[in-house]
This record gives sequence, C-alpha cells and structure tokens, in this order.
Amino acid sequence: MTDSPQTNNVELHALDRFREINNAFPKTAQILEHKSQGKQVFGWLCTYVPEEVIHAAGILPVRVTGYSQEMELEDGNAYLYINNCSFSRSCLQMGIRGEYDFLNGVVGGSTCDGARRLFDVWRYYIKTPFHHVLTVPRKYTQRAHDLYYHQVAQFKQHLEEFLGIQITDEQLCQSTEVYNEARALLKSLYDLRKLRNPPITGAETMEVLNASFRMPKELFNSYLRQLLDELAASSRSHKYRARLMVVGSVMNNPEFIKAIEAQEGLVVTDELCTSTRYWSDPVVLDSDKTPLEAISQRYLNNFPCARMVPSDERFNRVIDLARDFKVEGVISQIIRYCVPYAHDLPLLIDRLKAQGIPTLALDVEYGTSGSGQIQTRVQAFLEMLEARR
Amino acid sequence: MIGSEEKKSRIKTIVRACRLIARMSKGRPEVLESHRIYYQMLADYYDRLLNAQEEGEFVAAHTIFFPVEILYAMDIVPMHTELTAWMTALFSGSYADLLSTSAEVGLAPEICSPYRVLTGALAAGCLPRPNVMLWSNLICDNSAKGGEPVMDMSGCSGFFLDCPFQQTDYENRYLKEELEDMIYFLEKQSGRKMNWDKLSDNIAQSDRQIELYRKINELRQTVPSPFPPQDFLKLFTVDCFFAGQPEATNYLETFHQELLETIRDGRGMASPERFRVMSIGMPPVLLLGAIEKVSLEYGAVSVADPFFCNWGEGRLDPQKPLDSVMKKISMHPVMVMYGPLDERLLDMLINCAKQHKIDGTINYAHVGCKQGAATIKIVKDVLNEIDVPMLILDCDIIDTTIAPEEEIREKLRQFFELLEDR
Repeated sequence: MTDSPQTNNVELHALDRFREINNAFPKTAQILEHKSQGKQVFGWLCTYVPEEVIHAAGILPVRVTGYSQEMELEDGNAYLYINNCSFSRSCLQMGIRGEYDFLNGVVGGSTCDGARRLFDVWRYYIKTPFHHVLTVPRKYTQRAHDLYYHQVAQFKQHLEEFLGIQITDEQLCQSTEVYNEARALLKSLYDLRKLRNPPITGAETMEVLNASFRMPKELFNSYLRQLLDELAASSRSHKYRARLMVVGSVMNNPEFIKAIEAQEGLVVTDELCTSTRYWSDPVVLDSDKTPLEAISQRYLNNFPCARMVPSDERFNRVIDLARDFKVEGVISQIIRYCVPYAHDLPLLIDRLKAQGIPTLALDVEYGTSGSGQIQTRVQAFLEMLEARR
Repeated sequence: MIGSEEKKSRIKTIVRACRLIARMSKGRPEVLESHRIYYQMLADYYDRLLNAQEEGEFVAAHTIFFPVEILYAMDIVPMHTELTAWMTALFSGSYADLLSTSAEVGLAPEICSPYRVLTGALAAGCLPRPNVMLWSNLICDNSAKGGEPVMDMSGCSGFFLDCPFQQTDYENRYLKEELEDMIYFLEKQSGRKMNWDKLSDNIAQSDRQIELYRKINELRQTVPSPFPPQDFLKLFTVDCFFAGQPEATNYLETFHQELLETIRDGRGMASPERFRVMSIGMPPVLLLGAIEKVSLEYGAVSVADPFFCNWGEGRLDPQKPLDSVMKKISMHPVMVMYGPLDERLLDMLINCAKQHKIDGTINYAHVGCKQGAATIKIVKDVLNEIDVPMLILDCDIIDTTIAPEEEIREKLRQFFELLEDR
C-alpha cells in the first residue's frame, strides 16, 4: 500500500465509515440489515440503469462491481472467456461464487458488448430471481429519448409485476430527490477539488464514491454531509507536482489512484462511470414532464460513455472538466478488451493535445493497484509535465 | 499520406487479382462457374470504386451488415469499409504493415483486427476517400466505433444508424425512422433522390437471394456434402457487397445448380466423408486452405456455418421496401448473436447440428470478438447435451501471428483424432 501525499494529515471520521462499508462489500452491514427486514436488494450493471426506479419500488439498488484487487479469474475466464474485459469477468466470478447471492434481481443495459454479455451469462448460470435488460440508444435525438423512455417505462412495469405493487409518481419524485441530493453533495465534494489546495485526494474521493453505490442513499447522504463538514472545518491540503485527471474504462480501486498520488500527481477530477459520470447531471423535475420522463431524460443525456455517438460529446465534456479543474495532464486507463474506450483513445488524445493537455495512456486490468511499471510511467509523465512549465 | 495514384494502385491490385482469377477459371471443368462469376463481380465492384471519383459518382463508405440495397437504389457507389480494408490487405499482402500502422495511430491490439486493418489502411492512405460514411452498431462495439475514425481521417460527414438492441414493435419503428433519416441525409449529401421503384426491385432480388441462401444451406444437409467448405465466405461477402443486385442472384442460382449437379453425380467434398463439422465464427481467412486440407486428411468436412448461412424465417415484400430492409436485417444469420442471448441462438444451433448430422463443432474464437467468445461456454454446454463435442480454436481472423498455421493444424488433428476415438 502506498501513502497519499498528505502534508496535513487530519483524520476524517466520515471517510472511515465509507471505508468500512467498502471493506465489507458486497455483504455489508447495511445490505444485510436491509435484507433482514424482508426487503429486496437489486444489482445494477451499468450507469444507464435508472436507479431511482428501483429505489422507488422500495428496493435497495447496489452496483455490481468486481474484486477490489487484481485477481486470478478462473471462473470469469471459463464463463465469459479470456477476451472479455476483466471488469465483466471479475463481476461474473463473484456472482458465480455466490458472493452476490443476496441479490433478488439484476438489471443491465445494452451498453457495450462486455456489459450485455455479462448480463446474458449471469442470467443463464446464476439464478437471480429477477432479470431485466434495457435497450439503450446510442444517440441523443428526440427519437432516441422516446425509445429510452419507453424502455424505462417497460422496466418499471416489469418491476411492478414482479413485486405486485404500483410505483407512483410521488415515490419516483421522492427517490429522485434523494438521488439528486447525493449528486449535489458529490458536486460539493468535487468543487473542493477545484481549489488550489484540495483538502481531499483522488483516492479518498474514490472511497466515497464506492460507498455511494453500496449503501442506502439516505444514509450515504448523511455520511457525506458529515464529511463535507469535517473538510470545511479542517485545514487539510496536499502537496502535488501536477493536477491530474483520470479518464477511461470502469475503475473503482482507490489503490490505483493512490499509486499515482504517491508520486505527487494529485488526481483532482476524473471521467469514469464510477465517479463523475455516475453523479453528474441531476434529474430535472418540472411540471412539463412526468418524473419518469425526467429520469429517463437524465440517464440518456448524462455525461456520456464512450459507447455514445458522436464521441465529441464525450470529448468536449472531458475538455470542459480539464478546464474547470485546472488539469495539467490526463491519465487514460483502459482495461484490456474494453473496445469503446480503446477506439476513442487516439481521437481523445488528439483533442486534448489541441488544448495543450498531454495524455499518459495506460493499459490495465480491472482491479489493478498500480504496479511498479505504472508508477514509473506516472513518474516520467509528471517529470514531463514539470518540464513544460 | 500517399498520393491518389498510390491509393488507386492498392485497389487496382484487387481488381487485377480478381480479374486474373476469373479469367483463369474460365473453361476449366474442375473450377465451378460460380467461382468465376464471384471474382468477376468483385473485380467489377472495385473497378467501379476505383473510377468513381473521376466519373463524378458519389461514394458512401459503410460498415458491415449494412443494407446496401438502399445505396444501389440511389445509384450511390458503396464501399464496404471492413471488407475493402481486408481485401486490400490480403491481395497486396500488406496485412502486417497495416496492423502495424494502426498500432502507430494508437489503436490497441485487442481491438478486432479488421477494424485495426481499416484504421491502418486509412492512415496509410490506401482507401479511396468516401463522400460520406455510414455506420451502425450492427453487430458489435467495433462497428459502432468504426465510423468516426473514417470521418476524422477522410474529412467527410457521416450518419450513424442506431439499431436497437431488441426487436419489439416499438424498436422496429425506431429503426425504420432511423433508416428514413439516413435516406434523407444521403439525398441531401449526394443530391440524388431515392428511387423507390428501384428499391422495390432490389428488395425483390434480395427476397429471391434469401430463398437461394436457404436452398443452398439445405443442400448442405446431404451426405456426402456437395458444398466447398470455403464457399461460405463467398455467400457471406456476396450479401455484404451485392445484396439486391441481379448479378448476386445469378451467382446464387448458378451455385445452387452446381450443388444439385454434384449431388446428382453422388460426389462429395470428402471421399469418404467421415466427419461432418459445424463451424462457429469466422476462421482465420488466410488459413482457410490449410484448414480445409488438414480436415480432408481425416475425411472431415465443414457442412454448416450457422452464423453465415442460416437465414431466419420470413419473406421480404417489395411493396413495403423499407419494412423489408428492416426485416432482412432481423433475418440475417448473424443477428442471433445480437439482442439478449436466448433460445433463438441455442435452438438454432441444436437444430442445425441435428439437421446437418454434425459429428463435431469447431468454434473459431476470434480474439477480437467479445460477444462471440462470451457465448462459448453456453454453446459448449448446450451441444454437450446432444453429444456434439466442440473444439475451441483461439485465433484471429486476419492476424496469423495470434495462432500460427502449425498450431491450428495440430489442434485440428487432435480434434479429429478425438472424433475417431468416439
């Protein structure tokens, strides 16, 4: 384990609570308590699955993630084959080995080949009682929005039939408010990272984010409010050589960020489906649309995954982030066999270069903690960034 | 960037090679007439592409499984991006160079090799510059990501055809409207109007062609198999290049007749035919000859290629051309791999194995195909239930360094020996 580059190392008690949850995942005390009350827990596989709909049905939605470290994936390889991304294989292996046996349902989207085959193979071999996959269009046109809304409505109906309940507009609004609050609090946390001396590291932020999709949102919001209070009251700051952004495939291992930050490259923002792409853009509830329309609109319009067309929508938002957070260099980490991000990489590097922002491209496996080789490359990248000043 | 003459020379190589094969096939009784027709068609396709710009024609590049009937109805010259890059690599012997160029551009080696060759060919300036790029998510992430690099490198505009994941009525309506928008885009870009009568004619031809694909596939159930195992690739590419065109119908009718005659004469591809093999996925195209040779040593013949030859049920209606374009997309053999994995795929494979009297299956696990590879265990388990063993052959469609010829030969030998032991 590497140390964070803290120069003013004040303990954050709220952060410890998030860490406890992450260390216990998937069978956290909160999930087990929820189950003990006779309530259901659903796993979702991709950020294009509207969590609010699950939440509004009284179900605890948790994100299916893989092992928090690089592992031998014998079962994952056997069931999904070696050339699917290690995120899918890692998630599936945990499912096959019963680590998600508390799930009452699994919901996926047709987002990328890896995600949809993870869903297919999960459904075939793991007998989770409820399964649903949403067609997710790749465009942002009105027609695409109509199609996606239709999909979300069908999903809601499927859920209602499975549970024998009605999910009301009022429940959807309440869930949306809870989730919007989480988004607003996370935005506040990220705003602190825009400061000249951010009080929180990238690795610490990732602990917060991991917990955000592994516990009841109401409880998460209360913990995060405490963390923000603690940060406001502290004089934490971190020594750094350069302000960095991490982009690319799904990644939620704080150890990877720690390895970068151990070289004093402070990760001040990111473009990952486990972080900024998860929380950015609230659901806009207004009198013009039903809550379900508002939810579906947000999910399709949200900060895009590399699967979406045109790719410039994503590239522009990456560039905006870089500008807002005064990013000096970008680290792209792409899991082997992650096709959408691998295809985008040459174009993204060009776009960033045109803005004067250099990119370090790393090929990784899901769960990697940042090996010696990665540290060496980060070190060289930081030296290059320093030399540019 | 190389000059337009250099670009032309790569396409000229394809034209010359195809013409040569067609010419050498003529009048030789041991070579099927369909073989000559096929290569003549290819030569004509690339000849038209070669001269398109000079003759003021409008060129639309498009990715795989694209409804070219629409382009032909608008008198637009199609350029199949993956297959053209692939043919350029094969006929000019430059696949290694093009893969290397794609790596220089920054494309990861895990990306499906036809797309890496495409990027390499674009970066090297080996492909003609299209007027527009048309691409879709049929049938994987690679095709969905395959259009923008072409637009970026060629400086042309493009249209992405968003094909929904499932085939409900709602999603079919979505696809139909996407097709209408694409036609509008093409009309605007090319200044040509859609000729709906011509599209209807093309659909009528496609309907006949699908009927012939089915009949040809049915003849492969005959023992011994009359079907030259490598010709599945011709059937596949004929649809990719020439769907809805009379010359494709002519090719298929000729081929069908040839197969009937072979059956009538009691001839088969292997003598004696000992093992009937089902091939899943695309074999390494440079090693097709080697695979056939080692198979025949054991009396093994590939008699089924379900993902290329098993067209779904239904007919096309020339009176409803756009609905028929959609219908055809849904009927394409490879579409069982799209959408949620369900009984469609598994039942199709079981039925195929039974109807074609399969002794063993070879699953060509192309390293670039994630969605195909992810079904390997399910397919193996399902085929085990009907006592059909399956060889999983790790390979790459184009890049022979992933699985060299000798390695593939050896694995095939071991598999055929296993079949002998059974």
